[in-house]
Amino acid sequence: MSYKMPMGPYHPGLEEPYKLEMICDGETICDARLHIGFNFRGIEHLAETRNYVQLIALMERVCGICSFIHTLTLCQALEQLTGVVPPPRALYVRVVMAELERLHSHVLWAGIAAKLMGFKTMFMACFAYREKVMDMLQAISGNRVNYSMNRIGGVNRDISDPEAILKMVEQLESEIARDLVPVFTSSFTARSRCAGVGILSHEKALSCGVVGPTARASGISQDLRRAAPYAAYAEMEFDVPVEAAGDVRARLLVRALELLESCRILRQALARLPSGDFNCGEPKLNFAAGTAISRVEAPRGEVLYSVSWVQNSRNPSRVHVRTPTYANMPAVRWMVQGARIADAPLIQASIDPCYSCTDR
Amino acid sequence: MTLVEALENLGVKKSLLDSSGVSWFTTENVDPRQLAESLLRHGARFITVTTHELPRGQGFRLEYLWDLDGRLLGFAFEVGNTMPSIFDICEAADWIEREIHEEFSIDFVGRSYEPLLLREGDRTGVNLREVTQ
Repeated sequence: MSYKMPMGPYHPGLEEPYKLEMICDGETICDARLHIGFNFRGIEHLAETRNYVQLIALMERVCGICSFIHTLTLCQALEQLTGVVPPPRALYVRVVMAELERLHSHVLWAGIAAKLMGFKTMFMACFAYREKVMDMLQAISGNRVNYSMNRIGGVNRDISDPEAILKMVEQLESEIARDLVPVFTSSFTARSRCAGVGILSHEKALSCGVVGPTARASGISQDLRRAAPYAAYAEMEFDVPVEAAGDVRARLLVRALELLESCRILRQALARLPSGDFNCGEPKLNFAAGTAISRVEAPRGEVLYSVSWVQNSRNPSRVHVRTPTYANMPAVRWMVQGARIADAPLIQASIDPCYSCTDR
Repeated sequence: MTLVEALENLGVKKSLLDSSGVSWFTTENVDPRQLAESLLRHGARFITVTTHELPRGQGFRLEYLWDLDGRLLGFAFEVGNTMPSIFDICEAADWIEREIHEEFSIDFVGRSYEPLLLREGDRTGVNLREVTQ
């Protein structure tokens, strides 16, 4: 006899509030329904009441992990509307910050995944790595969460000592390659808890339109840094890890390998940081009437901003944000079908969901 | 048949490439469901729909955004308060149709709704100007 089992909206197995209503038969999940909106803040509407200075500060708070990515995407759209072109050094600083944020996000996620696997030693190790990444972010921006780095026409702060950051990156890269990657790619614990669990087939991944590591773990080679380069990514050499299995282990592998690729990009960006200004100063900004669309490959996948402005307005007439979790979350329904109830927390966590982003 | 040829058969024509790098297409007299089917058949990925409320109660402009190998394709439809749903063709459109229904009270014909960002019984149209001003 089937029965319903709710998980959430407030549950120790969830990082943030959302509800997974599972229909189970014994220990097996037959189907599930997802409920979001518990954090709905109406930020898109609020954005229509803010000028461009306030707007950047507001959109930085859409997400606590990808705060840099959100302002980067927004500022790229605003730069299209104003015709301001950031100097080359600013584009490199943006790459450095974006990759540090990816490291931060992936290491944080790895820690939470380790905890859900019952591998709490690794959880502590991952959070120790995370501290090191946050130290780097703080060394550059002065902040550990909301970095206030992006502005129209560049960044607010320069990387004054790239060699020091480079040394920190190299140290972290060697530790990640030595300790974290092997644990997630070859340890018995990771394999036994993740292999064959929460499968999202290639066809279903295409049908659901999933993005980021979730898509790449289902065999979809899709990365905006490669397909539609922004900032200085066209000048970076890196690989896009893709796995075909579509299970939790594939998502783990993709992210573990992406950690190393991020370090590779960071080494290139820091070593080749162009000289010159890191922003355009205080140019007179004239917003063209119309809509600008910008996309960025966030740690969890594609973020899209559509920003519209009308003539002579102080505020945008519309700001629409499509976050990666918004695209990935509906696929959890298909991932949990046929899985054991005990695996549900790990499966939902395997897409690295952000409900703060999703609810906006 | 290439995507451009397939789109031309549906009556869609490329109008401009804007500064965002979006290729915008005209959609007058185009069936959005046939358009979605054609795009999916050619390997395009649905991204989202952005809704703009037109001034003086003239309805809405719905901008459907798709990705084709890194190229952003945009299709804008001007509608009243109904629009054919593409959810049964493209399941990736499920949440955004529900969200637009809740925020702008647009009815996507041919589907049912469960609450997404709002709760059961909440009033829809929370992002409409007449409600919020």
